[in-house]
Amino acid sequence: MKKQLLILSAAGALLAIQACELPPVETSQLGFRGVGMEHVANPSTLQDSMESVAARIPQLAGAPDAEMEPAPAGTWENVQYLGHLSEAEFNRTMLAMTAWVAQETGQGCNYCHVIEDDGTVNFVSDDIYTKVVSRDMIRMTQDLNANYPEHVGETGVNCWTCHMGEVLPNNYWFYAADGERDLERYYVNEGARQTERYLLDQEAIRVISDQALTGDTENTSSIQDTEYAYWVMIQMSKDLGVNCTYCHTTARFSDWDESPPQRVTALRGVGMVRHANAEYMLPLQDEWPANRLGPMGDGPKIQCATCHNGAFQPQYGAEASHATEWPAFQVLGPPHNGAGADADDGDEDTEDGEN
Amino acid sequence: MAEYQNLFTQVQVRHAPDPGVGIPDPENRGKLAGFSGLLGRIGDAQIGPIHLGWLGILSIITGGLSIVIMGLVMWSSVGWDPVQFVRQLPWLAVEPPAPEYGLSIPPLNEGGWWILCGALLTTAIGLWWCRMYARARALGMGTHVAWAFAAAIWLYLVLGFIRPVLMGEWAQAVPFGIFPHLDWTAAFSIRYGNLFYNPFHMLSIAFLYGSALLFAMHAGTILAAAKMGAEREVDQITDRGTAAERSQLFWRWTMGFNATMESIHRWAWWFAVLTVITGGIGIVLTGTAVDNWYLWGQKHGLVPDYPEVWADPAYPVQPGELEGPWQTPPPEGFPGLDTSFRDGGLLPGTDIRLTFADVALNAESIR
Repeated sequence: MKKQLLILSAAGALLAIQACELPPVETSQLGFRGVGMEHVANPSTLQDSMESVAARIPQLAGAPDAEMEPAPAGTWENVQYLGHLSEAEFNRTMLAMTAWVAQETGQGCNYCHVIEDDGTVNFVSDDIYTKVVSRDMIRMTQDLNANYPEHVGETGVNCWTCHMGEVLPNNYWFYAADGERDLERYYVNEGARQTERYLLDQEAIRVISDQALTGDTENTSSIQDTEYAYWVMIQMSKDLGVNCTYCHTTARFSDWDESPPQRVTALRGVGMVRHANAEYMLPLQDEWPANRLGPMGDGPKIQCATCHNGAFQPQYGAEASHATEWPAFQVLGPPHNGAGADADDGDEDTEDGEN
Repeated sequence: MAEYQNLFTQVQVRHAPDPGVGIPDPENRGKLAGFSGLLGRIGDAQIGPIHLGWLGILSIITGGLSIVIMGLVMWSSVGWDPVQFVRQLPWLAVEPPAPEYGLSIPPLNEGGWWILCGALLTTAIGLWWCRMYARARALGMGTHVAWAFAAAIWLYLVLGFIRPVLMGEWAQAVPFGIFPHLDWTAAFSIRYGNLFYNPFHMLSIAFLYGSALLFAMHAGTILAAAKMGAEREVDQITDRGTAAERSQLFWRWTMGFNATMESIHRWAWWFAVLTVITGGIGIVLTGTAVDNWYLWGQKHGLVPDYPEVWADPAYPVQPGELEGPWQTPPPEGFPGLDTSFRDGGLLPGTDIRLTFADVALNAESIR
């Protein structure tokens, strides 16, 4: 009896230890004393994560064309958003995109471009859907870098930020399928409904009153509204791998004066994601083949984790993921003169999302 | 000589089951009684006789029905999949009606089940209370246990009935479900500006922790003096033996004051009962009178003005940038947002065209 108990408790202890991180965990005080503003992190776990992220980033040859002149008219056909590039820079960008996105397929240029029967590559054709999607994604990246410096900073984003060498970024999401709350595929469950309300329907999230007494406020937010807000916030916390205290004073979540400045950056990021979903992801709906659609038949959409991948800064700010080395993605590029039919002139509506 | 230990008794006496004290009892007393060696290790080895009575039977029927309905509603929410039911049970819920229904009775699938489960459960709890009261009276005892239970029922009714009625919507009530009711608790505190600043919540916590402290002090004292017969507490109220003398001196030595063998139980009873009474008052005031406890605390000198210690964002805040509307039911549509896609789409891998509403309302039929 005693022996059995001993074996059982030893097994239990082993199981419990399995669930633990290797200490030490460091707690640093962020805010005023006594208000619980602390950041909890395990430096060795973080270090490992940062190193593995940095190690994955491909080291691409070549430097940006310093005195870049746009390629002479007629160089390419059907180039709609990269008309500001020289031929050298254009080719460098195309090669980089192949490494960033299509590497794992082994298809090279053919992942987006059609190979004719005689073996030549038809760079003009839009017959493969990935080319159409890539074009819109280039436009989106240009838009984010040019119009959202208050969120992406001067470093900006490039394809690698989300794709990390894979054709599908890790943390896209779909509409939730009713009755199939799958705990493994976290983003295809009940929670996706909340993500949808916040990042797609652009619903407000504020529920905490600005007045002490019920009679003094017009706030009628319900408990259900709060659960929605709570879900969205916890989701964001997971997306960024941070505690609530990264952005909020715990005693008073709603107060801006007592919030760390990161909260403002995050709010601007929410506007950015809403903009990207509404202007780029939803309009691509008709382009996706069936195997890229979610359980409700909708195309993939983005959220904080799509870029952040669980890091407070995408790629932990690793320099190789910055847009600074890539003139292709820094401005809303014009169409190349001599482009094929229906070239978009690129006057995208870039107004900021609200709240 | 038999060894006597009062923690996990090692000697169990077997005899004909003891029917209990002879009292005039108009109802049939159950005759079923036996022994359990395993339970005898932690308590009295004799099981029964149990007195169910019609109050007990009705209580078990209504309570059982309530639990069964909850289970079925949860099971249906995973499409009657038994594996998913077990796997996801901690996350499944019977939710109260949406705010739009106010205090009306909604269709069963939109909160009606919650009302039914709640009504049955409340009936079961009420009958069980009556049973506690009646049994105590039948034995000629006081009704302290029943009134302590009533205090807990007060908090239960505040959460599920009194406050929702005052707020004018069932939606304010707590859902049934393991994590869902915890999520409710978190959301409730967040919505009303942090419940920690609610003074009745503070009192409730003080009594809760106080209960644990008193429990530990009392239980520790009795166990420590058990070898002098301290567990025969009631005897010692009238005839203090050496166990009582020693344990009381122990507390006078260590903190200068001692409770009596009787008063310690009054302390414990009131601490336990006040935990839920003050808690219920705190809940009933939340949302009906006070909308933000943090700001209420600031207004009444409970919360200091903390200094602003944060740097400005790198890109300065524009006027109005941080302002936004309250969360309310979603507007019809936002300018510039194309949601027409949601009106229909092909079911993946088929030619079947479904609208979003089709799928949302009819999840089973397309599986």
